[in-house]
Order: sequence, then structure tokens, then C-alpha cells
Amino acid sequence: MATKIGVYFDQSAIGGGLDVEELISGVEKKWSALCPVVKSFPIMAKEAARAEITADIEENELDGVLLCGSSPRFDWDLYRFTGVQVERVSLREGCVLAYKNPDGTPHTEDEAPELLTEMAVDYINMGVVKLQKSNRPTPQLVEGSQRILVLGGGWTGLTAAKAATEAGYKVTLVEKDAQLGGKALNLWYTFPITPPHTTPYDPDIAAKVQEITANSEITVLTGSTLKSLSGCPGEYTAVITTPAGEETHEVGSVVLATGWQPQNTALLEPLGYGKSPKVVTTAEFEKMNKLGTPIPSRVAFILNTDLCKPMEGSPCNCPEDAAACTPDKAPAKAEAEEAPAYTDMESPRHLGYSNAVNSVVALKQAGYVTQRHEDGIAYILYDSMVVQGVHERFYKTAQNIPGIMMTKADIREVVVQGETLLVRADNTLIGGNIELEVDMIVLPTGMVPTTAKGPIMQFEYRQGPGFPDLALFDGFADSNYICFPYETRRTGVYAAGCVRQPMTMDSAEEDAYGATLKAIQCIESANHGVAVHPRSGDLSYPIFNFVRCTQCKRCTEECPFGALDDDEKGTPKPNPSRCRRCGTCMGACPERVISFENYNIDQIGSMIREIRVPDDMAAEGPRVLILACENDALPAFDMAAMRGTPWNPYVRIIPVRCLGSVNAIWVADAMSKGIDGVMLMGCKYGDDYQCHFVKGSEICNRRKENIAETLNRLGVEPDRVAQYEVAIDEYDKVPQMVDEFMRMIFEKGPNPFKGY
Amino acid sequence: MAQSARIEPDISFIRELQAAGGDTVKKCYQCATCSVACPISPADNPYPRKEMIWAQWGLKDKLLADPDIWLCYNCGGCSDLCPRGARPADLMAAMRNMAYKKLVEPTAIGTWMSDIKYLPILIAIPAVLFLFLWWFMASINFHGYFPHGGMFPMPKPGVGIEFARVFYGDYVIDPLFMVVVGFVLFSFYKGITRLIANIGPQGSVMVLGKRKHWLQCLVETIALEILPHSRFAECGDAEEKRIRKTGHMALVFGFIALAIVTGTIAFGHWFGRIPFLSGIYIETPLPLGHPIKILANIGMILLLVGLSYLTLRRKGLDAAKQASSYYDWYLLGVIWAVAVTGMGSQLFRLAGLTAPAFITYYIHLVAVFMLFAYLPWSKLGHLVYRTAAITYVRYMGRK
Repeated sequence: MATKIGVYFDQSAIGGGLDVEELISGVEKKWSALCPVVKSFPIMAKEAARAEITADIEENELDGVLLCGSSPRFDWDLYRFTGVQVERVSLREGCVLAYKNPDGTPHTEDEAPELLTEMAVDYINMGVVKLQKSNRPTPQLVEGSQRILVLGGGWTGLTAAKAATEAGYKVTLVEKDAQLGGKALNLWYTFPITPPHTTPYDPDIAAKVQEITANSEITVLTGSTLKSLSGCPGEYTAVITTPAGEETHEVGSVVLATGWQPQNTALLEPLGYGKSPKVVTTAEFEKMNKLGTPIPSRVAFILNTDLCKPMEGSPCNCPEDAAACTPDKAPAKAEAEEAPAYTDMESPRHLGYSNAVNSVVALKQAGYVTQRHEDGIAYILYDSMVVQGVHERFYKTAQNIPGIMMTKADIREVVVQGETLLVRADNTLIGGNIELEVDMIVLPTGMVPTTAKGPIMQFEYRQGPGFPDLALFDGFADSNYICFPYETRRTGVYAAGCVRQPMTMDSAEEDAYGATLKAIQCIESANHGVAVHPRSGDLSYPIFNFVRCTQCKRCTEECPFGALDDDEKGTPKPNPSRCRRCGTCMGACPERVISFENYNIDQIGSMIREIRVPDDMAAEGPRVLILACENDALPAFDMAAMRGTPWNPYVRIIPVRCLGSVNAIWVADAMSKGIDGVMLMGCKYGDDYQCHFVKGSEICNRRKENIAETLNRLGVEPDRVAQYEVAIDEYDKVPQMVDEFMRMIFEKGPNPFKGY
Repeated sequence: MAQSARIEPDISFIRELQAAGGDTVKKCYQCATCSVACPISPADNPYPRKEMIWAQWGLKDKLLADPDIWLCYNCGGCSDLCPRGARPADLMAAMRNMAYKKLVEPTAIGTWMSDIKYLPILIAIPAVLFLFLWWFMASINFHGYFPHGGMFPMPKPGVGIEFARVFYGDYVIDPLFMVVVGFVLFSFYKGITRLIANIGPQGSVMVLGKRKHWLQCLVETIALEILPHSRFAECGDAEEKRIRKTGHMALVFGFIALAIVTGTIAFGHWFGRIPFLSGIYIETPLPLGHPIKILANIGMILLLVGLSYLTLRRKGLDAAKQASSYYDWYLLGVIWAVAVTGMGSQLFRLAGLTAPAFITYYIHLVAVFMLFAYLPWSKLGHLVYRTAAITYVRYMGRK
């Protein structure tokens, strides 16, 4: 609770004719007890101004500083004052630049219109209250372990283990096979992973394994699997089943590098697999070359797998039976007894996802044919030849080999005629339909992430042993791979390599480093009691007032990150280091049990109450509250203001951590105060969600339906509360959204509760 | 279900093509920018995208049956725009080079013409031949195997230097070149027959509408396309393209002028002996003011102008976009030799410098032989094959 707040105005950032003196006297009058210092600076972004504020803090024993000027998204690095809470009021982007007259005309007078002044006053008051209702959080420190658990001893896992020890951390490396090396053990060569990226690369996996085995900082457990992982980042307890019995390791975080397994080859039958020993997979072909087995001189590499589509009606044509007939690859038997059976997510789509890797594999293996036979011919029949990034160079090299012939082609059929094979392909670049006679056909390998086949992590979490919602990614352990690689929905576990996305070995290596750095960051964050991505460094964490808790379990169920466990009765058990501080639990709680020191129900509720709502809408206009996600919607508003597209002056924006943290009570507060409408502006949700906390805007949307129901009962039109999906770059649309909503409010007339 | 054509790549053919100037063909990734860029490629089944993949795959049969390689005017627009540096224009040129090399026997000449290392053979044939003639005539003229009067006859008073005194036209040079012309014409006859057989459709084709006679098509091709250089104009009017058109035009009309000169002189010389045609009798050397001589010199100047344009242009080409093959340089070199020695012979003759005049004239004869005797196997073969292919597709109804 800030009890002595210094309020400072930055004249250089205000303008718009706002009378700063008037604003100052307003604050002095209204908050005389709370705000002993109210000042203005011609330019606040100056050393002198900051020195003066620092002096004021000492002299007046201030515990809060409210800076009124530019948006908090600017110059944030300038305004850090030790020992006090700092809050900013966006008078520039939020008021002056955002302002236009109610009739849509721009404000051109020298003096600020009354509405603008009123808006500024509202925001200043909200800022004061926000500070008043906020405490400095005391972090919960997790001492914990400086050990990283690396799951998977393949190329990625070995690299991760090495990277972790290089940074001074200890490693427990768990490999389910009897020896380290993983899929790389079967490779003759891999794609070029070093400049100039033109010739295949000898991965020399033995050397890499040797290096790891010799490293005293790494405990290698082969033939082992993770039995359970309990606890939270910084202090996880991993129970590992080893050939010698169970071992318990205390670890701080986890790098998940369990990789992939080959797709069920039954899927490849339409391409002739199984009809002839001369039809092989890339894996089998690689092995032949590694062992030096003779290979024929005419080989077709088929990359177009359109024929492998599952039959109509069956979601995917193999997994269930496949899992049953290959028991070693079936989900762990133990979890079948206690947890609900894990849905096998293997599907023909994995073949498509693996196309980028298979394309480069085909180029590499076509090179084997021309290398081992002077007049060898390797056909590559593709639907789309996908070579990512620098592998383009390898593609160019392969292309230049006279014996490698490529064409886009629809495969019509593969015919086995004794020793020879015929590939019939349509719509080729050669023109028309062609038939090729070859001695061997090599089919692509679908890479199925291990997380599609079972709950690898074996979390002892309330929300289950695996990662949630992986079906969205067909089992790939991936939360939002474009923005936040390595992140998973479980804090402290970072995915790297092919378990995350089919990738080449150079990418896997990069991944290993990235995920290891994230794992280290996570341990350090837990040690310092701060949040990890995306609210990195946030000291606050949810505090539960268990007196009022009704054990309804909403918070434990809705937490997107599975941070909350519970006891038998359903009382939530917070694990601060698992928490990402989004506040979804706070938004969920009907009893308002959950709060953060610097972000809570009362605080936002009080801010809403600081909005002056005129009784007569016809005379002074309506008022609308916007609860805007601070990650995307708020920056969009800032950008709209900066680009000279202001919006209706009757709205007041309150930033929220995530729409998931919006508690229904705030809407109720607003409506009962006579506010005419509420806009909830957050990220896109659904399959292509953009929410930083994955589920926030989606959950908010669900809750909104309940709110609508309540409003309906009270006789308030439910469409006075609307949710909008805004991407950060949609600054051009945001003002229109506001203006359209306002048009609707004007049509509806005042909130029936107004004036009560 | 549509019939599938069996595809049998020929790797050695790919390597041959690469050696013949299509070394970058494998770089193509089939984006078809070239086919779109080509100003003269037809909208229906355009080139050279499809030729690129046929070449990449070594599909010899398809390429042999493809008239399109002759329809390309090698302006290089496709190569300029190719995002991969695959140089489709060079591939088309290489395909034509392959045709010069392979289409007619004796393929030994084709082989000799394909690589600079055989150039001494090509030079040696006419050089030895004409040297022998020179020695032979000199020994007759001056009595004795080792002519004591020297190899160079003294200028005749009033007439000056007469090349015919050594390279005796009536019974030596003219018959020799007539044999050469016969050989070349016969070779072209074979070449055209094979070309049409290759590019012609298998089975019968029904052409809708009124069909023109092939002779009419040939006349149209020459009058509407070749002489006015209309396709060259379509290839764009960038500086470099205009230079190419002007240079090529100068060469073509230069050669036409010289062909008229040669034809007129030969006709006059031989038929002028018939008593009632004695009025047209021509004997060389002609005086400078003679209309035929004027035409000859105009032709020579046109040759030199055209050669300068084309050589400078070729020297200025960006090798990354359009490379020049040995075929290109051979042709330019030989025409240069013909034109320069032709001019030199005349100048030395007029100046009365006996030894230089005869030596230059000797080289001139060697160069002329190299130009004409090897014509079906040289880049100049396009004169006939391209005309034939264009006429043929015109005949088959393509505009």
C-alpha cells in the first residue's frame, strides 16, 4: 500500500493545451493526504529531474511515485527508483494524442477541451489509486538445485548436456536406449552443417558420445526412463527408472530432447512399401549405405506422399493397431493404470510435417547413389521441395550433379515387376504423365514426436502427466514456436530438437543451446523468486486467502501452466516458481480469494470507481471501460495514437496482465457504477492463438458468456460487454473498434443502472 | 487413364550438352521465369522452361524432336532474368550446337568444329590445299618445281596484280568451290530432312483451316521474319539488343551483297563466253568504279560494321548471364578473317605490293573455305536450320 505518493508531470510529454497547473491543483485538492509532493518538470527525461525525484523520495519518505507523461512503454529504463513503487500515467499517448472531439473532429484549440481535461483527471486519479492499492512484492525464493535434467541422449540431448556443463551446471542425462547417440547412430552422413554447406557432414557421433561420457559433471543414465517429475522449477524431484533400480535426482529444470520415432510404415503401403524388398524407407536406405551394402544405380526418391492419405472416415489410419502390435513403443504401461490413457497423436500429417527434413534427406541420399555409381541416376519426385535456410546451398549442389533428376510429380502408382519397379507419375514438369523404371524406391520417414506417443514428462501435476493441448500441434511439444521457441506449457521444461518440430541436425544443435539457456534462466529465476517468460523478472506471485476458498477448483483447472496443485479437498496448492503471473487464477476465482501484491481485484475495482460517470448521458456523454491486454491491445492503442488515429473520448482504458485475469466482478463494478459498456480487448484465441499466456483470451471469452447471462438477468443488454481480438499490429483497426462500439452504445442509450 | 511415357535419361547426353555450352543447365529450378520473359515464345506450350528440365534429365529424344530450340533468337532475356543463373539462352544455343555437331555426317567435322583443340585440322585442310595449288600454279607459270621466278608473279603492266595468275579461277578455284558448294548443299539437304523428321509429329496431323504451300511459308519466313529482323525487334530495344539487331542486319545484308557479287561475276564469267551473251562477260579484277565492284565494297563494309557491332557486344556480355561458346567465337573469327583478308587483298593489290597481296589473298581463300565448307557444322548452320524450322512450324499452323 503506497501511502505517500509523489506525483510528477512531464510538461514536455503532455501538450494538447492541458493546463498542468490545474491538474496539479486538482491532485493536491483530491489527494492532499496521500500525495505530499505534486510537481511538474519541463522535461522529465533529464538527469536533473530524476535527481529531484530521488531527493523528494528521501526527504518526504515517499513510497510511491506517479509519473504523468508518456506511455509506460517509453523510457521505462529511465524511471527506476529504488525502494518505491513507480507507476506511470499515459497522458501523451493515452489522452492528448488519443483525443478527438465527440463529433470526430480533431481538437485544434489552444486550450484543452473540457472532455480532454476530464479524461486526464480520470487517468491521474486511476493512477493514484492503482499505487495506493499496490504493495511491493516480496519474492518467494526457491533455493533448489543447480542441476539440469536432460531427457534424451541423441544429438540434441548430447549437445544440451554439453552446453549446460559449459555454463557451469550439472546434468543428469537420461537415455532410454542402452547406448547414447540416438538416431544419429544410424547415419552414414548428415546434411552439411558447417560452411560452405555443400557437402554431407560426418556427424562422428562416437566422438560426441565419448565427450559426454567423459564429462564428470554429467551423470549419464542409459536404458533409463523418467518415472515421475514432481515439484516445481528450481526444486524438481525426478524419479528415474534405471536398469539398476529407481534413482531420485533433484533437478532445477528440464531440457526435453526425446526426439522422434519413425512413423508406422503401414502408411506407406500405397507407395509400394511391403510389396517388394526394393521399396525401402530413408532410414533403411541410410543403414544400407552406412553398412556398405550394395545399392542399385537407378533409385527413385518419392517425396510426394499424397497417396498416403488415410481412408475416408478414419481419422488416421494406423496408430491404434500400430501401438498394439509394437508394445515397446506403446505408451508406458504404468500410466495406463492410474492416469487416463494418453491419446496417441500419430497421424499421416506427420509425414507432411517431416517434408522439410525428408527433402534434404532425399538430396543427401540421391548423392549416395551418384557417388557410389558413376552413372547412377537418382530421381527425386516431390510435391514441394522444401529446403530451409542455408540448406538451399546443399540443394544447389545436389542439383548440379548430372545424375540427380528432380521433378514435381503426382505419384499415380508404384508397380512391382519382378526385379524392377515402375513409378508412374502425373503432372510432371517434364510435361504430362511419365513412367520411370527403377531398381529401388526410397520412401520418406514420418517423424513422430515422442510426445505424441506418450506423456514423456510424467508430471505429478494436478492437470496430468503430459503437456496439455498437444493435439493442436499433433503431439509436437510446442507452445508457440514462432514467438517463443523452446517454451512449453510447463514452466521449467524446455523442448529442443525434433520433439518440438522436425528439424535438421544443425537446427537441433541450435535448439539444444537455446533450450539449455532457457533452462538455466529458469533455475536462476526460481533462485531469485522472479517470473520467467513472458513476465520475466516479475517478483509478484498469486497469494491465496484460503479463509474464503470454497475449493471450487476453477483456478487449478484453468491455470494454463498447471502451476496449481491441490489437496484431496481441492484446496489449491500454489507453486510460485511454476507460475507465469498471468493472473488467470485471479480472474477465475468467484470468491476473489487470489490476488497479487501489485495487481488485485480491489485495485482494478477501485480504479474503475475513479472514473467519473456523468448522470446524464445526453448532456455529458456515455462512459465506456476498456480492459486491454497490456501485451498486445495496449501497444496497439499506443501506436494508433502515435500514428494520429485518435478514438472516441468517452472511453477509459485500464491495462490488464491478460484477459484471463479479468474477474467478472470488475464488469459488475463498472455496470453498477453506471458505465455504459465494457470492451475487453485481448489477443486472438483458437488454433492460431496469440495470447502470451496461451489460454487467457479464450478463457475470458468463455467467462464473458456467464457475464452476459448475469447482465441479462439484471435487465442490462448483454452486448454492452464485448470482447475483441486484437493483434499487436492492428493499430489501424483499434480506433474503429472503439468508435463502432460507441455508436452501438449511443443507439442503446444509457446504462439502466446509471444514477443509482 | 492417361498413357504414361517411359522416361529414360541419358547422363552422357547431359554431360555433352554441358560441354557444348549448357554447363549451367542443372541449376534450373523450374520457376518458368524464362518462359514468361521470352518475348517471342508462344503462350501455348512456351519455351525454354520445358527444354531446361528435358536437358537436366538428359531426355535426348524430346529435345531432338523440339523445333523450339530453333525458334529462339538467343536474345538472352531469359538468362538475364533467371534467378538461378541457369542461363536458359545458353542451353538453347548449346542444343543448337549439338545439332550442328550431330545432325549430318561426316560427324568428324562436327567433332572438329566443337572444340578449339581441333582448329589446326580445320585450318590445315584448306591451307595445305591452297598452298599446293599455289605451288603447282607457280611451278607451271614459272617452269620448274622450285619456281626460279619466285612465288609471286610480277604485276602485269596496265592491269596490276592478278590473283588469277596463281589461283587460277577457271579451272582451279571455281571448280573447287563448286564441289564445296555441292557438298554443303547435299549436307544441308540431309540435315533439313533429318531435322523435319525429328521435329515432325509422329503419325498424321490434321491441320484445320486452309493450308499454305510450304514454299509460300518459306517466302513468308524470309520476307516477313528473316530479312526485316522482326523477331530481333521483338526481343526488346535495350541498347544491347539494338546493337545486336543492327550488327546482325549489317552482316546479313553484307553477305547478301557479296552473294550477288559472286553470283553475278560467276554468271558473267562463265555464261559470257557463250557467243551471243558476250556482252555480259566479266573478267576480274574489276575497276573500282564498276557497279559490281561498288556493291562488293559496300558488302565488305557492311561485314566489317556488323562484325564490329557483334564482337563488341559479345565482349561486353556479362559472363554470369550469357556465356559465349566456342561456336560463337569460331564463327565471328572466321567472318572477321574473311572480311579483313578480303579487304587487305584488295588494298595490297591496288597498292601494288605483290608479296603481301598474294599472302593475304591466300589467307582469304583459306578463311572462305573454312566459312563455307564447314557451314552445316558451324553456328552459321542456323541460316538454314532455323529457316527450315520456322518455315516448318509456319506450315504446321503456328504463327
